[in-house]
Amino acid sequence: MKAATTSSEHITLERDLTSSGRFFTDLGTAITKGDLFVKLSILWWGAGYARRKQFFKAIAMTLLEAAVIWFTVAFAVQYVPKIGTLGTVQAEQVFNMETMKTEWNDYDDSFQILLFSVLSFVVWFAAVLVVLKNLVNVYQLQRREELGLHINTFKEDVSTYLNEKFHVTLLSLPVLGVVMFNVIPLFILILVAFTNYDQQHMPPTALFTWTGLTNFINLFGGGGLTLTFGYSFARVLVWTLVWAVFATFTTYFGGILLSLFLNNKRTKFAKLWRALFIVTIAVPQFVSLLLVRNFFADNGIFNGMLTSAATALGIIAEGTTLNFPWLTAPGWAHVMIIIINIWIGVPYQMLIATGVLTNLPVDQIESSRIDGASTSQTFRYITMPYVLFVTGPALVTDFVKNINNFNVIYLLTQDVYTTTNQALANSQATEVDLLVTWLFRLTQDYYNYKMASVIGIAVFIICAVFTLVAFNFMLSGDKEGVYN
Amino acid sequence: MKKKLSALLLAFAMLFTLAACSSGSNPGSAAPNDDDNPQQTQSGSQGGSGETIALRVWGAEEDQALLKDLVEKFKAAYPDQTFSIEIGVESESKAKDDILTDVTAAADVFAFACDQLPDLVAAGALLPIDDQMDAVLQNYANKTVADIKSANSEGSVGSATLDGKLYAFPFSADGYFMFYDPSVISADQAKSWDTLLDAAQAGGKKVGMTLASGWYLAGFYYGAGFTTGLNADGTTSMDWNGTSPSGVTGVQVTQAALKIAAHPAFMPVIDGDSSNQIKSGSLCAVVSGCWDSQVAAEAFGDDYMACRLPSFMAGDKEVPGGAVASYKLMGVNAHSKNSGWAMLLAEFLSNEESQVARYSARQLPPTNISAASDPAVAADKGVAGLADQSANASLQAAGGKYWDPVKSFGEQIAQGTIKSDDASVQAALDDLVAGVTAPLG
Repeated sequence: MKAATTSSEHITLERDLTSSGRFFTDLGTAITKGDLFVKLSILWWGAGYARRKQFFKAIAMTLLEAAVIWFTVAFAVQYVPKIGTLGTVQAEQVFNMETMKTEWNDYDDSFQILLFSVLSFVVWFAAVLVVLKNLVNVYQLQRREELGLHINTFKEDVSTYLNEKFHVTLLSLPVLGVVMFNVIPLFILILVAFTNYDQQHMPPTALFTWTGLTNFINLFGGGGLTLTFGYSFARVLVWTLVWAVFATFTTYFGGILLSLFLNNKRTKFAKLWRALFIVTIAVPQFVSLLLVRNFFADNGIFNGMLTSAATALGIIAEGTTLNFPWLTAPGWAHVMIIIINIWIGVPYQMLIATGVLTNLPVDQIESSRIDGASTSQTFRYITMPYVLFVTGPALVTDFVKNINNFNVIYLLTQDVYTTTNQALANSQATEVDLLVTWLFRLTQDYYNYKMASVIGIAVFIICAVFTLVAFNFMLSGDKEGVYN
Repeated sequence: MKKKLSALLLAFAMLFTLAACSSGSNPGSAAPNDDDNPQQTQSGSQGGSGETIALRVWGAEEDQALLKDLVEKFKAAYPDQTFSIEIGVESESKAKDDILTDVTAAADVFAFACDQLPDLVAAGALLPIDDQMDAVLQNYANKTVADIKSANSEGSVGSATLDGKLYAFPFSADGYFMFYDPSVISADQAKSWDTLLDAAQAGGKKVGMTLASGWYLAGFYYGAGFTTGLNADGTTSMDWNGTSPSGVTGVQVTQAALKIAAHPAFMPVIDGDSSNQIKSGSLCAVVSGCWDSQVAAEAFGDDYMACRLPSFMAGDKEVPGGAVASYKLMGVNAHSKNSGWAMLLAEFLSNEESQVARYSARQLPPTNISAASDPAVAADKGVAGLADQSANASLQAAGGKYWDPVKSFGEQIAQGTIKSDDASVQAALDDLVAGVTAPLG
């Protein structure tokens, strides 16, 4: 048969074979037109391959199927049936005098049930995808055989993964990583928001269970929780956004200005200055921020220096001390945090901006100079738009990063800042908390995982919406063309 | 579409840090730490033979050398049994945080401050010292739980007891009292806040005390007969906005505290910063505990004094300066693989001999009555100060919702942001009580 096909016929046949591009259309065709072995592939994944003598693939698929079945029988069935209640058997212990050990009953661990059920669902979802794709593949093989086309050997199949299907090879590991370390934890985080997982319901000792939308209702002041939780959420959210805007733009423009100064031909020892700024990056933030925190403490060095200076100048009487609440009063602390963050964040932006500025479109700057543009005009109409265009996406990620900027806020205010706002204190928040630091305290100190998850979801929605809007706005139009 | 997708992925990636933050610390996510526990042969042995008992102990960093000695003594006390005991560092004041992160992976025996007891019990992290443990102690350590209870001070046993059950062994008293410099302040002047502060002002010095803390601030209210309590559901009860059995109102106590805080010679100290403030030399008196004895001796001279907190006037009644009676406890993890031996080790690390050793190593006052009456211990000024305060010290029962609201309230007193008229103070107290007594969310 194979010998009978001429090369031109061969090409037409190949073209006939190429799938319609729509997965479900292909699937429908495969199910309706597939032969017995294709249909059998739903039950025995290797059937279609075995029939077309692709024995390696048949064995591999059979082993994979066995693995999924084994996973289901030996592992998943212990957890998934309990997902509806998240467990019912309370942990109980009996002490055995003989062995001097505590013996536990076969208790349910709600968190394990949740975790392993989610894992099972992900595995099964993947298995279903494999079955369906498999059907399409073995039907293709059937068609190839009917048309008398060449069927790949195992070796040829493998080599496609190093050639035309190389992207699949490259991406499979990262995708697996994303699923394991991003998608599954994210699902868990989201699901916990619908449970009563908190200090009173901590596995393995106690069980937690589903509570529907209660936590979301509570967050927006629906009662049950402290009356001030909704208020605190609003306060913290506003400061989070204010902080993110200031922190992003101050460091961004500060970095660009700094790198412009350093790039200027008239600046002496540019390399030295640049190195000095980079030192702030090299010192771990834990060290530098904690030192700065002590430096600006109420009874700290900075107030001491101000006191001595003011006493020497005769502004204040001998013996009185200046105690500015740099990091301990609302307002003061907010401004100080943003200023200290400039010092921390500018060097990073300076490095990025330096890279961008070395790639400035020199021809445009030259021609503008010839046309008589001043330095500030060049900066405003050429340098800045170019830098904005190139670093725009980084600006968006910076903003999102600042919404979640845990280090600066936590290290500068933890153990130092005490709120005098009783309503905030009653919800374990302070005026300087970001959503993420509040969330940290709720989980770390109060084990309030359910509310932390709700806040986590809120943060995610804020970040996602902002990112989508910002990217749409920035990348719309034909700016790319302008610069190319 | 692709752009949107990549933007979404970006947001996902940003959130990953977040997810790691919250789900990483979930109990149960890590498998029980089996590698610390070599698989033992099931010989059904009578505890005294064959298998090696693996145990882990967590204690304060400053206690490490001491613990090492004590563990060796423990091994020597049970020569028939082989042990593999590992000692780890965990501050007593933060023990709860790490234990509750994953109870099954925490140490078998750990030291903690008694204010963490309710949270640890609520999470099922502590093995109760019940009848069976009584039997274990009788079999091996040759003492009963009743013996241990009577050997230690009543308050210390009370701090380790919840709902009538003993959950841990007390090993050190940890309360606060007042240090002062006798060259500035006389013993009589140290008896009331008014005279104390005036004397300090006359001497050009200050009196330091932490107000922004649920631990220190409570002393004012407990001294006046107010209480806090821990309910079965984990919520806190509080009566500070009412009138105490001794006829003092919370408003009067708060006004007295506001007056003290407003005195020019008063310095509010940040929680945990007392040592630095004593060293700075600006203080002539400070409310602190035995951990500052040495610093106080250096700053105030070797003739430094330690005594109970001064009294204050609430309305027309004199209220004694109260304090919270606190203790350090040694507990056993309910999920310990070798719970019986862990119990014996915890008992050993808190027995009379160990308490004496702990006093000589770190000058921490014992809770064991006969250890405390040891002449060297009894002569210690810090220990004597704590003993003087103990007449006016109460155990503190409070749930998790107690701490942040009271800390903020103390800060408002320290900064004087509460107006001192009756109506404003009453409103502030009502807000405080609402926050403290709120249901757990």
